[in-house]
Amino acid sequence: MFKSIMEWVDARLPISDLIKSQATEYPTPKNLNYWWNFGSLALFVLIIQLATGIFLVMHYKPDAALAFDSVEHIMRDVNWGWLLRYLHANGATFFFVVVYIHILRGMYYGSYRSPREILWWIGIIIFFLLMGTAFMGYVLPWGQMSYWGAAVITNLMSAVPLVGEDLVVWVWGGFAVGDPTLNRFFSLHYLLPFVVFGAVFVHLWALHAVHSNNPDGIDIDEHKDSLPFHPYFTVKDLYGVGVFLIIYCGFVFFAPNYFAEPDNYIEANPMQTPAHIVPEWYFLPFYAILRSIDFLGSFSKLAGVLAMVGAIAILFVLPWLDRSPARSFRYRPLSRQLFWLFIIDCFILGWVGYNPADATVFGGMPIVFVGRAATLVYFGYFFLLWLITAFDIEKPKPTPTSI
Amino acid sequence: MKSWNGLKRWGGWLAAAITAVGLGLPPASALASGGVAPPKQDWTFSGVFGRFDEASLKRGAQVAVEVCMSCHSIKYIKFDHLRSFGFSEAEVKAMAESQGKTKKDKMISGMDPQAAKDSFGTIPPDLSLMTKARKGYEDYTYGILTGYLNDKEKEMVEKIFADGNVLDPEIKEAAEALHLGHDLEKAKKSLERIHRGDNFNKYFPGNFLAMPQPISAGQVTFADGKESSLEQMAKDVTSFLAWAAEPTAMERKSAGVKVIAYLVLLTIMLYAVKRRVWSRIPH
Ligand code: HEC
Ligand code: HEM
Repeated sequence: MFKSIMEWVDARLPISDLIKSQATEYPTPKNLNYWWNFGSLALFVLIIQLATGIFLVMHYKPDAALAFDSVEHIMRDVNWGWLLRYLHANGATFFFVVVYIHILRGMYYGSYRSPREILWWIGIIIFFLLMGTAFMGYVLPWGQMSYWGAAVITNLMSAVPLVGEDLVVWVWGGFAVGDPTLNRFFSLHYLLPFVVFGAVFVHLWALHAVHSNNPDGIDIDEHKDSLPFHPYFTVKDLYGVGVFLIIYCGFVFFAPNYFAEPDNYIEANPMQTPAHIVPEWYFLPFYAILRSIDFLGSFSKLAGVLAMVGAIAILFVLPWLDRSPARSFRYRPLSRQLFWLFIIDCFILGWVGYNPADATVFGGMPIVFVGRAATLVYFGYFFLLWLITAFDIEKPKPTPTSI
Repeated sequence: MKSWNGLKRWGGWLAAAITAVGLGLPPASALASGGVAPPKQDWTFSGVFGRFDEASLKRGAQVAVEVCMSCHSIKYIKFDHLRSFGFSEAEVKAMAESQGKTKKDKMISGMDPQAAKDSFGTIPPDLSLMTKARKGYEDYTYGILTGYLNDKEKEMVEKIFADGNVLDPEIKEAAEALHLGHDLEKAKKSLERIHRGDNFNKYFPGNFLAMPQPISAGQVTFADGKESSLEQMAKDVTSFLAWAAEPTAMERKSAGVKVIAYLVLLTIMLYAVKRRVWSRIPH
């Protein structure tokens, strides 16, 4: 019965062929390690966000006078509303956890190298879209941090030469963050995840054109060294989903506000600035870079914004900065050391971003000094990676000929 | 080896650049504040298996209605909600009526916001989300309620000013006891404000707040006969406010235990299947 229906469909739309060639029999390197689980996990979290978001919208009110109350209504009165909201809020956090690991995996194993440049680019575009989506989503509950975070970040656009001030007013839809801002952010917060979904499709399209990289970073003999995606990687990815769900649900059910700022449980009040405005943790390293450029007088703001955007945009040219004959850092001792320095540096930047701009550390040193040094190290990674590979300073170990 | 020398040379340049950019230039600004972190308390409802103590919630609701509500609202809770932890309909009705309300009404304070502004300079914040809306959470609310000066501390401050002769060792001693920090000038200013009658609290950021000490020992006669010490009342009303901040919290935790148990089982099974499937290929 099912078979004859499928035959009927396949004669008109070859779904079975597509599933076979692109999913079940898609050739996958047999030596992939667990860091390769994070791509499918990212897709899984995207689906969680879409599913919970659509149900939240059924009860949420994008109105400056009602938004905060409507979120509390979801928490208190809607059946399982607290679950929807905590899944969604922590889903955003875990989306970034997963995506950061996914990106760093690519950086360590050289997955951005030829022929995967376009695949890599689409990934970066997804990351930008994700940041925009999360930023606008965070404004929706209309707490103090929503409001003031939105004010601080949108204000950055005033750094654009000539039209900056007008641009900010245009984005706000008024002379301050207010109801029109909330409305348009809501509209875009609903739209962008679907754009992300489209971008993910192109990302996978590009992946399936060039096939997966692997921990050795070498081109493989697909007849000898690949396995069909199903069942080998479906079951491995499902196991990864299980582990992920345990950790994620641990937070959702037992510490759902662990990543939340208490101030966001105070309704937005345009007349009262919170003592300390902090973005969500996933923006902190970039926020630190933004604030560390404070020594250029009236150009500081523009330069800070450029540095912040540049910190991610530089990933676009990473495929051309890295000139090593080996892709994977497994065979590149110097690159590997730089990589770990880079990771530590990102944590330092995060810590700087979390602290107030005028905090002092180590007995009186202004924290911005640490921020500036860490920003330099951040960009230094890309410079040094180019340097040691372009001038053969790093001598990679021989790569194996097969996996 | 050669590569190392190369890196070292460039590393030297990098270090020099970090010093130049990072440390050579003055920062854009600098600041400070008052109030210490409240001490941690044991809450029956914390942790995976922690649950609210209904007797404590009932006492806490009594404190909230009899004391806090003369100034604060708890707007996300209706009197009728209070039945969910053991009050009878008649009890809830009586509590609502004591505030000139019916059981279907929200717990809104009778105090007029403008009147509040006139007497306190600010409107007392709604307490529905208080335990989630401050760093320190329940410990903070408890800290605020118990962080006013006790009789001994009041006496100490008064003694400093009694002889018209304020001595540094006295300030030092008081600053230590009240966590006023090491800056004696600042500590002295704070002590003067206390002496003038401003509301001092150890745990409030900046130390001085508009709320006079709201509860003191014996203020409420508990319906269940429990002794109403300051600590007991503070603990009970904070527990009640923690309930009010998220009445679904216990439902969440019970569901969580089942969800995690299920997921762990599922994941173990998936791992077994994974092992089985992958054992087919030689490594
Ligand atoms: C006499 C009126 C009054 C009473 C009674 C009162 N409060 Fe307050 N409360 C205030 C005012 C005014 C503020 C605002 C303080 C400020 O912002 O300086 C406040 C603030 C608070 C805060 C917030 C402190 C902060 O971090 O902003 C808490 C917590 C609090 N009250 C708890 C209680 C509890 C619990 C009770 C009942 C036991 C209570 N209050 C009774 C007037 C009152
Ligand atoms: C890329 C996927 C998404 C991300 C990263 C994301 C992120 C966020 C974040 C960080 C919040 C604030 C949560 C809080 O603190 O309360 C939020 C709120 C919200 N989001 Fe999303 N979201 C995504 C997708 C969606 C989708 C697809 C929808 C609707 C179809 C949606 C609807 C909402 C609504 C209604 C809120 C307000 C309710 C609330 O604050 O809990 N989201 N989102």
